[in-house]
Amino acid sequence: MVAIEVPAVDYTDYSNRQLAAVPLAFLILALAVVGGWYVATGAPANLGLEFTGGVELRIADDGGDAEAQIEAAFDREPDSIRTIPGDDVVVVTFRAADEDPGGLAEDLEDRAAAAGLATTAVDQVSPSFASDTARTALFGVGLAFLGMSVLVFALFRTFVPSIAVVASAFSDLVIPVAAMNLLGIEMTLGTVAALLMIIGYSVDSDILLNNSVLRRTGEFYESVSRAMRTGVTMTLTSIAAMVVMAVVAALFGIGLLRDIGIILAVGLCADLMNTYLMNVSLLRWYKFEGVKR
Amino acid sequence: MLEPIKNNWRILLLVAVVFGASVALFAPQFSPDTAPGEGVSEAQQGVTNLQYGLDLAGGTRVRAPLEGHTATDVAFDGDTPDAVARAVAAEIDDVSTRDVGAVPDEQAVEVTDPSVTEAQFREAMDASGYEYGSIRAGVTQETRNVAQSVIEGKINEAGLSGGSVQQVQSITGEYFMLVEVPGEGRQSVIDLLEERGTVQIDIAYPTGDGTAVQEEVLIQEDFAEIGTAAQAERGSGAYVPVTVRNTAETGQSPAHGFQDAVVERGFPETYTTQGDRCTYDPETGETETPCLLLVVDGEVVNSFGMDPDLANSMATGSWADSGNFRLTTGEFAEAQTISLNLRAGALPAELDVSGEGTSSSISATQGENFRTYSLVTGVFAVFAVAGMVFLRYREPRVALPMIVTALSEVYVLLGFAALVGYPLELAVIAGFIAVVGTGVDDLVIIADEVMSEGEVNSRKVFNSRFRRAFWVIGAAAATTILAMSPLMVLSLGDLSGFAIFTILGVLVGVFVTRPAYGDILRRLLTVR
Repeated sequence: MVAIEVPAVDYTDYSNRQLAAVPLAFLILALAVVGGWYVATGAPANLGLEFTGGVELRIADDGGDAEAQIEAAFDREPDSIRTIPGDDVVVVTFRAADEDPGGLAEDLEDRAAAAGLATTAVDQVSPSFASDTARTALFGVGLAFLGMSVLVFALFRTFVPSIAVVASAFSDLVIPVAAMNLLGIEMTLGTVAALLMIIGYSVDSDILLNNSVLRRTGEFYESVSRAMRTGVTMTLTSIAAMVVMAVVAALFGIGLLRDIGIILAVGLCADLMNTYLMNVSLLRWYKFEGVKR
Repeated sequence: MLEPIKNNWRILLLVAVVFGASVALFAPQFSPDTAPGEGVSEAQQGVTNLQYGLDLAGGTRVRAPLEGHTATDVAFDGDTPDAVARAVAAEIDDVSTRDVGAVPDEQAVEVTDPSVTEAQFREAMDASGYEYGSIRAGVTQETRNVAQSVIEGKINEAGLSGGSVQQVQSITGEYFMLVEVPGEGRQSVIDLLEERGTVQIDIAYPTGDGTAVQEEVLIQEDFAEIGTAAQAERGSGAYVPVTVRNTAETGQSPAHGFQDAVVERGFPETYTTQGDRCTYDPETGETETPCLLLVVDGEVVNSFGMDPDLANSMATGSWADSGNFRLTTGEFAEAQTISLNLRAGALPAELDVSGEGTSSSISATQGENFRTYSLVTGVFAVFAVAGMVFLRYREPRVALPMIVTALSEVYVLLGFAALVGYPLELAVIAGFIAVVGTGVDDLVIIADEVMSEGEVNSRKVFNSRFRRAFWVIGAAAATTILAMSPLMVLSLGDLSGFAIFTILGVLVGVFVTRPAYGDILRRLLTVR
């Protein structure tokens, strides 16, 4: 049986600059992707149905060539057609047009029925409601991040270790958003929940590291490796759970669970990198040079 | 005797909480409320007392604002609400007084005709001469409340169990009606919301041989305004104020027609004192006095006599000038029903489902599939966590209690959901999985901390290490709660369930299960 051995990294081999370079490069790259997306599309990510408005139908796949049938059944081109393998259904999405989306939902349902397709679920979101939701979601994430930052500063009461946690959490949020853009995953309410979960999860390992270095006796590298043994186990366990959840939920076509799984898995990977490269280098600088000044 | 209890109180607390959850999950006393005419076994979905939300049971959810505009902080200048509404309505083309309402309690005037734009309403308000603060989209609280009870009435009448109506507010301050109906498709729910019945007032009167009925003395279009139920100023009764139109394009106005019919059927002669009552018998349809009958969709739902003063003013012909009367009953609740009946299912303002609303609908089979699938997903996720923990510790003594403890957290949360009747939704299931994740994380912190720096050979050593671990857990828990709390209150649909259960899970974890795990670990590591 393979055992998980958390590798002991010899941090003395690398300078602070070298350690921080990798996560910073990732962060800059991610910011560039998100910024570029904003410039190109007017939104920082691929917004899903809940944030743009439109109609989504779930149509039972009766074994025939459902996709071709669907193409033939509707007079407008669907924006996306996804087949869910585990559940024999096809998810057809129509983006909001300027025309009336409620009427569209009705019309599409009727057309599906006329073509002999059984509709198992209909979601209809109007554009104005959707933009409202987008604003609310952004506000929620901002508020959560602010609250977390204030709490972290209150817990440690020193600038550098606190800002290290906040910076790492910020990077943990931006990297998954960039990854979503590149992987073509849409921003939905589920992914917003996942982003908020990342704030909670990522701070866990950062607090553990800070606590071990700042509040416990012992030599710096010993403290780091002790925190790392626990922290890496925690994060890997969570990643395993999220990857499995994402895979199983994708097979069954449960979009919400799949999205949460993917985002958390990416965010936790980013967290591993940020915590044990960026935070460690910041803490080391603070311990050996910052305090003396 | 007390010593073992004192030493193991954390474990005992966990056992007690798990027992409580089992009771909430399985005891018939906590089974879901049954709808009228529904058995306990029908209300219960499956062997547990858990209830499932729309996406796990099938059904339709519609969220939409009521259309209209409202002027706030209106100075009524001592005028009656009616006069204010009339004055404003007169300033807008093609709008009947029925579509303009003035609510003194809220100092607001609203227009509920969707074709009136904000600019038109603003002009009308300016022209009417009443001072006002600002104009916003939407209708008044009173109108929302009426709409809510009308929709509730429709759902109950249609016999749809488990349906609900709520008012929710978005971050921009706009109000939405949120209607959830399990087991119904999107179209049938929207039809139900838009459906209007017919309402009319008939007069039943005695003739030489039995009772005759003069039908359609007043029909729906004849009402200029149907008020909301109000408590009588004197005595214990309640009433619904009604205004009948007293103008007509051609011929006689409805109010004059009504007045003539009332006089012809002998109301003024019959109702001469306050004690005179209508004797209409709903069973037989016979009456010895003339009575007004409220008929909804062809069925008589209420019968009324007439106040002597009112009957008198009809006899003299002065009543039709105002066209107002009150339908009086003994109880407020009954007055509310009458007000609803008079509306015959018509909402006081239109629900804008297609313009600004959202709707989602899931068939029952799809919901059932989701239930199975999410269970399978959850089980797989737990296996993944268990696998990782075993790989890391390779010691069942440490790993097994870890898994059991994390699962007990979810079990306790399920019990809580059953206890308060919170419907399980996909988002809640995602919350459970997140709880297992954070729960195990914290247990790893405890285990590592306790087992670090050599053997644990005394209680004292164990306790000091456990306390150290707890600082980190507490700090992490506080951040998770803080990060999740905005979701709990913002109106972001399903996600409030996710946030609520994640936060609850963290709380249960910090106060019950994680301390218990510490005790279990201590026993396993120190007693040998």
